[in-house]
Amino acid sequence: MSRTKTLDRPLGTEDLERLGAEIEALRERTVATLGERDARYIRNVAKAVRYTELLGRALLMGGAFLPTPWLVACWLAGALTLGLSKIIDNMELGHNVIHGQYDWMGDPHLNGAKFEWDIAGTSANWRKTHNFKHHTYTNIHGLDDDMGYGVLRLFPEQKWYPAALFQPLYAVIFALLFQWGVAIQDLRLGRLLKGRRKMREMKNELIPVGRKMRRQLIKDYIVFPLLAGPGFLTVFTGNLVANGLRNVWTYTIIFCGHFTTDVITYPKSTVKSETRAQWYVRQIRGSSNLSGGFVLDFLSGNLSHQIEHHLFPDVPANRYAEMAPVVRDICRRYGVHYNTGSLPKQFAQVVWRIVRHSFPSRPRPMRLARANAAT
Amino acid sequence: MSSSSLLTHPTPWWGRWALPFVDAAVFDFWAGHVNATWSWSRTLARVVERREEARGTVTLVLKPNRHWRGFQPGQHVNVSAEVDGRRITRSYSLSDAPRADGRIAITVKQVEGGRLSTHLVRHARVGDVLALGEAFGEMTLPAQPQCRWVFLAAGSGITPFLSMTRALAAQGMPVDLTLVVWARTRAELAAVAALEAIAKQHPRFRFEAVLTREPTEDPSRRIGAETLAAVLGRPETLGDAEVRACGPGSFVATARTLLAPYAKSFLGEAFSPVVLDDGAAAPTKAVQITLRRSGRTVTVDDRQALLPALEAQGLSIPTGCRMGICRTCVCTKHDGVAQSMDTGDLDTENETALRLCVSRPRTDLTLDL
Repeated sequence: MSRTKTLDRPLGTEDLERLGAEIEALRERTVATLGERDARYIRNVAKAVRYTELLGRALLMGGAFLPTPWLVACWLAGALTLGLSKIIDNMELGHNVIHGQYDWMGDPHLNGAKFEWDIAGTSANWRKTHNFKHHTYTNIHGLDDDMGYGVLRLFPEQKWYPAALFQPLYAVIFALLFQWGVAIQDLRLGRLLKGRRKMREMKNELIPVGRKMRRQLIKDYIVFPLLAGPGFLTVFTGNLVANGLRNVWTYTIIFCGHFTTDVITYPKSTVKSETRAQWYVRQIRGSSNLSGGFVLDFLSGNLSHQIEHHLFPDVPANRYAEMAPVVRDICRRYGVHYNTGSLPKQFAQVVWRIVRHSFPSRPRPMRLARANAAT
Repeated sequence: MSSSSLLTHPTPWWGRWALPFVDAAVFDFWAGHVNATWSWSRTLARVVERREEARGTVTLVLKPNRHWRGFQPGQHVNVSAEVDGRRITRSYSLSDAPRADGRIAITVKQVEGGRLSTHLVRHARVGDVLALGEAFGEMTLPAQPQCRWVFLAAGSGITPFLSMTRALAAQGMPVDLTLVVWARTRAELAAVAALEAIAKQHPRFRFEAVLTREPTEDPSRRIGAETLAAVLGRPETLGDAEVRACGPGSFVATARTLLAPYAKSFLGEAFSPVVLDDGAAAPTKAVQITLRRSGRTVTVDDRQALLPALEAQGLSIPTGCRMGICRTCVCTKHDGVAQSMDTGDLDTENETALRLCVSRPRTDLTLDL
C-alpha cells in the first residue's frame, strides 16, 4: 500500500493541462518529420515477414525429404523461422499498420482500414475490440474487454467466482491458443451462454470470423502440408509449432503491457468527465513498458513501448524508441509513475497477478482512492 | 466508371477460383521481384521514355500493365508516385493519341511548389514505376468529328489538345482545326515542333501561339475580345465551330463568356489552385460533400467536424472513440481540402485517409462513402 502511495504526485488542474500540452507537442514534432525513413522501415519489416515465411516454409518442406538428423534440424529451424515470420507479421507489421500508423504514406498495401494479417482473428474485429475499445477505454472496468479477456480474473475489482481457482491452468491454455481467443473475443460468447445475446444476432458476425478461421486452417494445415506430399506431417507439425510459438510470445508481450503490479485500473464513471489530459495520464498509468534494445522492440512490435503506443497509437511505432526518453522525462517532471522493467521482471508480476487473483481478493482502499484521484 | 469496367472485363474463371486464396499484397510483393509493374489488381506503369518538351516540361511515355483500360483523346488520368515516403496523386492529361502498342504519355509542367510535378519533371527516370487510376474526363472527340473545331489552351492546359490534335491528324484531319495556345515565353511552349510538323502536313490544321511576356510583358495579349478576334476572326463567324478551352479558371471563364454565345458548342475544363479564406474570423460557409460510393451530395458547414455533420444528414458511419484515436471512421478523401481539428494541419492531398471525427472540410470534398 505504501508503495502505490508514493508512485504518483498529486497533479493540479494546471499541471495536468501542461502535461497534456507537452505530450501533444511531442506528437506534433514527431509527425512533422515523418517521411522516407519511416516508409523504408515499414517496407523492410514487410520484407522480413515475406522472406522469413519463405525460408521457414522451405525448410519445413525441404527438410521432410532429408535423412532423420537433418529432418529434425530443418524442422526445428523451419518452425522457428515460420514462427518468427508470424510474430513479425502480427506485431511489428500487422498491429501497427492496422492502427493506421502508416496511412500517411497512401500505400494501398499498408492501409490500416484494409490490411489483413496472418492470424485467425479478422482485422475488422481487431479494429473494434483493440483500436477502439481497448485504446479508448484502456483499463476501465466493464469497458476494456482486454482486462482478462473475459477468461481471467486479474484485478481485485473483478468479481471472484470459484472456477477462478483453476485460472493458472486456463491461463496456460489461453496462451497456447491465444490467436483463437482473440478471434472470438468480439463474439462475446460468455454473454451468449448467459442468455444476454441471441444466437440469431450473432450469426451475421460469425460468418466473417468463420471464414477467416477456415482460411487460416486450410492454409497451414491442409494446403502447405499437402504441397509437401509425403512430408505432410513434418509440415503440419512445423506449422502447428510456429503458430503456437507466435501465440505464446504475443500473449506474453500483451499481458506485460497492462497487467503488471503497478498499473492502475479505473471505474466506469471515469469516462463521464475525462479531459484529454486525464486521458493521457490514464494511458500512462494503465500501461507498462519493457526495457530492452532493438531486438526486443522489433520482436514485440514496439509494444515494449506500451506507454508511448497508448499515448500515440497512430504514430509509426518505429518512432517510439526516440519518443520514450521525452515521455519519461515529462512523467518525471510531473511526478507521474513511468512503469518499466525487464521482460522477466514484468512477466513475473503478471504471473503473480494470475495466481493471486485466482483466490478471492479485495481492492485496497488506498488504491481505489488513488485511482479516483488520478482521474 | 469502375463498375462499368467491371462489367466489360469480367474476372476470368481462374481469377474467380483463385481469388479467395490469393492475398493481393503477397502476390504483388513476390511478382514485384520479377517485374515491378506486375500486380494482382493495381494499375501500374513503367516509364519507358522521357522527353524534354520545353523548359520545365517533360513528356513521360509510360507502359501500363494489363489492368489499364485505355482512354479517349482529351481524357486525364490520376498519376501517383511516392515523394519522401508519401504517395502523391495528381491528374494529368494523356498527351498522346491512343497507340497500337498500348503505351501512353503524360506531359508534365513543373509547378512552383508542386510536389508531384517537381518529382516527375526533375527526378523521374526511365524504369521508374508509377501508379495510375482510370482515364476520366468528358472533353473527348466524337466518333466522326465534322466541320470546324477550335481548341484554346493556356499553359499546361495544352495537354488534352495535344492528344486530340494527334488523334485528328491520325484520322487525316477530317475537320478544320485551330489550336491557340497562350504561354508566357516561347521556351515554356510545349511540343511546338510536333505541332508545327502536323500543321505542315495537314493544311486544315492551324496552330497559333500567343506569348504574353515576349518580347516584353504585354497584358493586352492575354485572352480577351481583341486577342480572340485577331486569331479566330469575329466571334459571329464561329457559328459552326465546336470550341474547347482548357487552362486556369479565369482563362476558361473568359473564353466561355466571349465565345459560348456564338459557338455551336462550348466545353471548358479549368484547373485552379484552391484559395482558402484563412483564420477564425472568416465566416462559416457551406461546402458540398460528394459521397462517391452512395452517389449522394450533401451540404454541411465548414466549422463542424465531418462525422457529426454527415450523421446529421442521415448517414450511418462506423465510429468508435470519436476523438481521433481509434481510426474506425477513417475514410478516403478523393479530393478537396480538409483540416485536422486537433492539430490544425491542412490536408490538401488527393486520395488520403481522413479521420472524419476530428476533421472539418475547408473546401468541397469528395469522400469514399
